[in-house]
Amino acid sequence: MTSHNSALKKPKNLSPRIEWLRNFYYKGVRRRWHNEFMSFSTGAPWDDSFDETQFYTMLEQLRSSELVRAAVNQDATAYVVNVPADFYELSLAERKAWFVREVMVNHMPHDILPGDLLAGGKFNLRTSRCWTKAESERRLAMLEGKNGARARHLEYNLRGFGSCGPTPGHLIPGYEKILLHGFKAQYEYIETLYEALSEDEKNGPQGAQLRAMMTSCTMPRLLAAKYAAVCTQLAGQANTEERRQELLTMAANLEVVPWHGAKTFWQAVMSLWMTHMLVLSDENYAGPGVSFGRLDQYLYPFWKKSLAEGMTPEFGKEILKCFWVHCNTAYDAAIKQGCNQGITAGFGQLFSFSGCGRGGADMTNDFTYVLFDVIDDMSPILEPKPNVRLHRGTPDKVLDRVVSMIAESQGAPFLINFDERSMAGLLRQAKESGVEHLINEDNVFDYASVGCLENTMVGNDRSETVNNNLNLVKAVELTLGSGKDIAEYYDLGANLIPARQDGPDTGDPRNFKTFAEFYRAFETQLKAQIKKSVELYNIGDVLRAEFSPTPYLSVLVKGCAESGRDCTNGGAELSFATIEGVTFATTVDSLLAVKYLVFDKKICTMDELIQALRANWEGYETLQAAAKNRAPKYGQDDDEADELARRVMDCWSSECWQYKTAASGEQFRAGMLSWNYWITYAGILLATPDGRKRGEFLSNAICPTNGADVNGPTANANSVGKVMGGRDPQNGDFEDYLSNLPNGASHTVTFSPAMLRDAEHKAKFKAFLRGYIENGGTALQVNVLDVNMLKEAQENPEEYQNLLVRVTGYNAYFTSIGKELQNEIIARESHNKW
Amino acid sequence: MSGEIKAVTLDIQRLSTEDGPGLRTTVFFKGCNLACAWCHNPESIALKKQVQWLETRCIGCRLCLAVCGREALSMDENGIRRDREKCLLCAACAEACPARAQEIKGTEWELAALVREVLKDRAYFGSEGGVTVSGGEALLQIAFVEKFLAALKKQGVHTAVDTAGLLPRSVLERVLPWTDLILLDLKLMDAVAHKKFTGADNGLILRNAEFLAARRREGGPELWIRTPMIPGATDTAANVAAIGRFIGEKLQNAPARWELCAFNNLCADKYRRLDMDWQYAGVPPLREAEMEALYSVARQSGARPDMVRRSGATRTED
Repeated sequence: MTSHNSALKKPKNLSPRIEWLRNFYYKGVRRRWHNEFMSFSTGAPWDDSFDETQFYTMLEQLRSSELVRAAVNQDATAYVVNVPADFYELSLAERKAWFVREVMVNHMPHDILPGDLLAGGKFNLRTSRCWTKAESERRLAMLEGKNGARARHLEYNLRGFGSCGPTPGHLIPGYEKILLHGFKAQYEYIETLYEALSEDEKNGPQGAQLRAMMTSCTMPRLLAAKYAAVCTQLAGQANTEERRQELLTMAANLEVVPWHGAKTFWQAVMSLWMTHMLVLSDENYAGPGVSFGRLDQYLYPFWKKSLAEGMTPEFGKEILKCFWVHCNTAYDAAIKQGCNQGITAGFGQLFSFSGCGRGGADMTNDFTYVLFDVIDDMSPILEPKPNVRLHRGTPDKVLDRVVSMIAESQGAPFLINFDERSMAGLLRQAKESGVEHLINEDNVFDYASVGCLENTMVGNDRSETVNNNLNLVKAVELTLGSGKDIAEYYDLGANLIPARQDGPDTGDPRNFKTFAEFYRAFETQLKAQIKKSVELYNIGDVLRAEFSPTPYLSVLVKGCAESGRDCTNGGAELSFATIEGVTFATTVDSLLAVKYLVFDKKICTMDELIQALRANWEGYETLQAAAKNRAPKYGQDDDEADELARRVMDCWSSECWQYKTAASGEQFRAGMLSWNYWITYAGILLATPDGRKRGEFLSNAICPTNGADVNGPTANANSVGKVMGGRDPQNGDFEDYLSNLPNGASHTVTFSPAMLRDAEHKAKFKAFLRGYIENGGTALQVNVLDVNMLKEAQENPEEYQNLLVRVTGYNAYFTSIGKELQNEIIARESHNKW
Repeated sequence: MSGEIKAVTLDIQRLSTEDGPGLRTTVFFKGCNLACAWCHNPESIALKKQVQWLETRCIGCRLCLAVCGREALSMDENGIRRDREKCLLCAACAEACPARAQEIKGTEWELAALVREVLKDRAYFGSEGGVTVSGGEALLQIAFVEKFLAALKKQGVHTAVDTAGLLPRSVLERVLPWTDLILLDLKLMDAVAHKKFTGADNGLILRNAEFLAARRREGGPELWIRTPMIPGATDTAANVAAIGRFIGEKLQNAPARWELCAFNNLCADKYRRLDMDWQYAGVPPLREAEMEALYSVARQSGARPDMVRRSGATRTED
């Protein structure tokens, strides 16, 4: 995939310090310093520093998991940490807490980069998982073999169902509490809870968990002391008095935070970074969606205070820009294996800013605009990922900023989140899962987003957003095959594996008299598929709950201390497991095509359609063209087509509520996000009735299929809003907004640069965003087309049927005009000559 | 409902940014009473339906040839040809084409359905945007358009009418109560040239312009003037100056805007598809300096300088 974001944008207003740090970061593998994973072992012969279940949602990783595991463990033998004699008599949570702390405090290098204003350099870790020999053996017995977890996850994936596994990250820890009160307060709170336990409880898992969490609480204090010493030492060697003073202040800051509450803005950002980075260390995972929440809300008091005490806004931004660079170092995890200097996209440390508060009041403040400035100055850069929240009361000043940054960046340097629809989803979740005491009108506005765009509550929500990824269109295939795959799949060695009864027998579709019969069978298959996903996910959930505690993270998630359970084991106040629907539009369009081709227009019989799909449409090009071009499509604001889309969505989302995980008791819910699966699964999934051949891209998240949104962005947005439930004055989830997707849904729309060419057009674009608040979904990525996209469209017109080119008084679909004129338009785009 | 007046439209453009203030939905009505040599939308000239073949969509399946009862279609090395003498516009080919390569231009709409359709984007109109009727000459379908605009106005939607102004006064009178903005084309001040390039005299158009300006001064709809800058036709300094003088003197600067729209040749394909010749097919867009000079003339012509705008692309010159 070509990235169309930020093609032309350049960073600006960078001080020599930040310019150096940013350039240094982008040297990638050419840097001497990096934050690549370091592996540490207990030295025990059975010791393992790699947990493959973390990667069950990533087929590529799964395929080579044995190799990776061997490599990791090989590396780990180089760094053996001597453990106390009674180590293996401790509970697993205590062992883990001790080991991670020991490594971070006494074994990892403590580096400060030149000019850096924040401490906390190396944190990407693969520690011993601290299993005893017996635990390790028991776990391996569950993983390996023909019916082991590994084989089952792989098979599930290769047969086109998707993936699932207990994926780390994707939550917002309770950072604000640490900034305000420090880990000391957490330590004392947990200690009080511990003292209140009975002796039996103290000797049981609850006591062990609390002891582990207390150990974890001390990790940031000990680590800060180490870094303070480094700062003091560097201050002695500083070339300038200014730098010497900076380092001395940093050392002083580290004497305070994160153990105590922050007193200054600098301390607050320091506390935030160190607290955050240790989550990634604790989880042994490099930044997958561990997010910051409403940065402009909880940092604002510190900002205001420090400005009043004499900090200049420029220096405050300088601290933030250092924070920006630090967030990016998460990507160093696999720097030597990655392409593009080891800097890859894939994780999302999100932060939310702007947005509404109680009763719809706008919460934008001075610091919100500071964040806009920093984003604008630093972009293009991958992390942290800004998520700007819009709502009906968003001031024009915010929208002006949003739109001008989109215009200047050739695509938004942030994701746009829409509060009303988002809150509707979270309130629906509260109702459906019986947690209205935890999510309600009094706090729902404090939601924020993690990972890509998934909305969650903050500080008490082990949200688990991308751990099940289900290919909905597999249910269409199974409907066509009476519950059997309609053709063979391939195993890892590219050998054919025969079709088999993968779903319930819903009858031979060739005998169906009506589309209603077909649709009923589809719903039966879909429900069976959800059950299958739940059952498979339960295996990973059991494994994680038993073998992979994260005691440090649990300190930061409300509910864990109170219940004495780890946040991998249902300890959080809120625990959810999301089943992300992948291939939504491909599924809806396939159903629409079956209806149109077989039942409405009788262009072919069901048997012919099945034969065509088995043949990957080869020899059936005319039928394929009709499926692609004549059958109705989701995403065009066509009420009939969108109604079927909504039925699929309703069935999907309501069925997901029916399940909880076995081990941790996480509530399942439906999501609509497909990360990169719409590309990576394209080669696995067979041809589909919407005219797609095997290998062609699937639909992305809640977006229409590629090229289907021929009626433009407003129609596209309207369709998205409708399938999420639309509006209902009598029965809304939030005001009159409905949403069947608690986490929200990923939506991308591409615009022509002409749409943003001057002040008048920017104002029009603001009107589009205001309209999206009313009619659209929860989250929007705005792309602005560029020359590369036009060239791609010239080569692959079918994928770009929706690409509208606008010139005053003339609009045309780019792909419908002759090549000469296309070239003219490309030439104009390259010179920005409209 | 039989007997109800239906509209024949060419296209509905959502998220329209060039046909009035704000974001709009523009309905292009089919049929025009001018025959401008440079017309950018040749498919809008005839009121009746038309069928065109889009070579980029065709998969060569020949289904259209098979279903044509008049043998009006044939296929050669250039693709599908249509014998427009034989073709009865029955649209059987368009209905059969699996790739939508045979495309019908012209859709019939009932009033309620069209109102519903354009209101789908109401949320995006905001305080400024709304619905524009354009064409062709939308006001040739006055019976429908009057009801359409009235229905929208009653719902509080901002309405704009894009017209060439070659119409009886009574037709304009019928839409004014339901219209917030008139977009009026003034192409050429010279009567002979106007006749030559558009096929019609400009007397009525200019009198209508004065009428609309007078109404504007009495609180009638806002008025925007648009002038296409067509090489060799309208793009002379004399023409621009004359239109500007007319706006200043006769219209007493009542319009809020006067926009010079630069010619582009992007519609060459449209003519080819309809088997129509177009004398501007090989004509390049204006040079930037030429357009800038015309803009400058306009600003000194007697029209209030702040109403003058320019839009559209000029020639790419490296």
